[in-house]
Amino acid sequence: MNKEIFSEIPMRTWNWLGVNEAVVDRDLLVESQNLDIKIEAGHQEKMLVEYRKESCGTVNINIGENAVLKLTQLQLMPQNCNHVNEINVVLEKKAKLQLVAVETGAKSFASKVNIILKGDKSQADVSLLYFGDGDRSLDMNYVLEFQGRKTVGNLEVYGGLMGESQKIFRGTLDFKQGAKQAKGYEKENVVVLSSGVRNRSVPIMLSGEDDVVGNHAVSSGKINEDKLHYLMSRGLSPAEARKLVLEAAFNPVLELIDDEALRQEIDSYIKERLENE
Amino acid sequence: MAQEKTYIEDIERTLYDIKNVDKSKYKSQSGLTEDIIRDISARKNDPDWMLEFRLKSLEVYNQLSLPNWGPDLSELNMDEIVTYVQPDAKMTGSWDEVPEDIKDTFDRLGIPEAEQTSLAGVGAQYDSEVVYHSIQEDLVKQGVIYTDMETALHEHEEIVRDHFMKLVPPKDHKFAALHGAVWSGGSFVYVPEGVHVEIPLQSYFRLNAAGAGQFEHTLIIVEKNASLHFIEGCSAPKYNVTNLHAGCVELFVNDGARLRYSTIENWSRNMMNLNTKRAVVGKDGVIEWVSGSFGSHVSMLYPCSVLKGENAKCEFTGVTFASKGQNLDTGASVIHCAPHTSANISTRTISKAGGKATYRSAVKVTKNAPYAKCSVNCESLMLDDISRSDTLPTMDIEGDEADIGHEATIGRISDEAIFYLMSRGISEDEARSMIVRGFVEPIAKELPLEYAVEMNNLVNIELEGTMG
Repeated sequence: MNKEIFSEIPMRTWNWLGVNEAVVDRDLLVESQNLDIKIEAGHQEKMLVEYRKESCGTVNINIGENAVLKLTQLQLMPQNCNHVNEINVVLEKKAKLQLVAVETGAKSFASKVNIILKGDKSQADVSLLYFGDGDRSLDMNYVLEFQGRKTVGNLEVYGGLMGESQKIFRGTLDFKQGAKQAKGYEKENVVVLSSGVRNRSVPIMLSGEDDVVGNHAVSSGKINEDKLHYLMSRGLSPAEARKLVLEAAFNPVLELIDDEALRQEIDSYIKERLENE
Repeated sequence: MAQEKTYIEDIERTLYDIKNVDKSKYKSQSGLTEDIIRDISARKNDPDWMLEFRLKSLEVYNQLSLPNWGPDLSELNMDEIVTYVQPDAKMTGSWDEVPEDIKDTFDRLGIPEAEQTSLAGVGAQYDSEVVYHSIQEDLVKQGVIYTDMETALHEHEEIVRDHFMKLVPPKDHKFAALHGAVWSGGSFVYVPEGVHVEIPLQSYFRLNAAGAGQFEHTLIIVEKNASLHFIEGCSAPKYNVTNLHAGCVELFVNDGARLRYSTIENWSRNMMNLNTKRAVVGKDGVIEWVSGSFGSHVSMLYPCSVLKGENAKCEFTGVTFASKGQNLDTGASVIHCAPHTSANISTRTISKAGGKATYRSAVKVTKNAPYAKCSVNCESLMLDDISRSDTLPTMDIEGDEADIGHEATIGRISDEAIFYLMSRGISEDEARSMIVRGFVEPIAKELPLEYAVEMNNLVNIELEGTMG
């Protein structure tokens, strides 16, 4: 089958780690659904993008000066499908983006997000939730590029992995020369629920500017046993206790989804997966 | 508040830059051919298996490509590199027998003095051959072997054959293959079971010849429940042609053993430093790396620890200081292969005057390593806005019982800290210097005192190039 490089990290590393690029079936890319959006200066918008049957989608957004966009992207593809999605955003001066992304579907998916903080004082807050189970394959590549002065970028990632799922998350904070007083923050918390999981994380920080503050942190581990024991001592079954702890772990992202029905749908989906494990 | 800065050229690194007249006894032709390798092997009186190993390595070298990641290596032209330079000196155990110019070089670097005060053994390599080796008598009586690799190859052939390039096989990468083909010099250390070498051993590698390569091989075996602190130093004078260092370090830390491997690397700014270091650690064993990278034009150096035995541990402490014309790509990798293994990686990188410092790491936890723990901490300091600092860690974790954490920060010296120190009567330059010394202090404190002093001197040399 024809393969194509869908995304690459901005700076390559050892090939044996297998994280330099995401390779996908070329056929997937042919059927791409594209969306080009311009948020006019000073406007405030909310957008919801849902993937339920599309194999490939690209969203290109320009957010004008002082404009604000809240973009929620939910990938709820059936478990037997492959999928790729892409978001490209350019933020002008003082523009703001809140991106809430949920990746819980598809047998195998690759997503890439490129956010360019072009204008001075522009800001992007990105919250991502991913969940992998069975033999699913999850591949994500997020890049926040700081070009303007006093720009702010936050990337918070919450993940859960079980079964024999395999995941790669690459998150890059790229401070370009001239991005003075930019601030970037990235964190990824992964809860691992099964021994068959393979979990790869690549938190990259690139800087050509000294007058910046950049931080990143990754933590990966199983559910805290003390929390589980406490909940089980209150009468919850092991499965119920795990569900509750995982819900709490995902809550920072779930609570950002405005639509109660969608929030419930994702919550139910994860619960069902936990019960079936 | 915006900070205006001016820059001046780096001061001369006089101590390291003094060149000796090239009085080599023999130099191979530049380039890399089978004839050159046969010639090196014959001059070294290699056993047949070693000649065969060298020739197979050459084949591998010719098959492999340059890495498609990391710094640009296109400046390196192997056709112009002289791979073997034999100094006009025989290996000896007395400094009095070392030719005057070579002895003066090591005197200036403080090696004989350190030998008297704080070392249990010294090896000194000049270009491609070791010219001096010594070890305290009481260690010899306990069965400790510390000698040059050529002597080891003849006197302890079976041990060498069982271990040589087993941890870093020539197929590992192009420069490992190059090393396998043209290696020369280096140190061999064997510490028998239960023996604790209380005072460090040190090998110092000096490359004097212009346009030459140094390919020393260090092989250390620390048997069960034994311990050793080994120090490696290296430097070269600056030339306007490219020099190459492609050494290889293989460390075997057996069950319950402990090895500390400290390096202060201060190659000249025309050096391509493409070194490979790897350790395998047995049950309850400990490998400690202390690594300071200050010199070279381009470095690719990532000591690797393979934690093979249950409860094996790795501690890595590193500092990298990249200045004008330097691209220093350094870091570490750890592979957890057994239950309850643990690793702690802590690094500091500094970049200034257009220098590029990259921290690169890999933490791999295999399925066979439940309850593995690894903590990675990387802090980067940029001293101006024409330099680069990049951080590229990767974690690859299998299973659900590992506990892995990674943290990194990047930034510059805060104006508040400078102002605070200035308000206490300290000049701005001294305030900057104090903050940088404080930044690298976690590494300095891991070094023996005299090496910590050398590291602080190197930091000061670098900082004198920047006027705040």
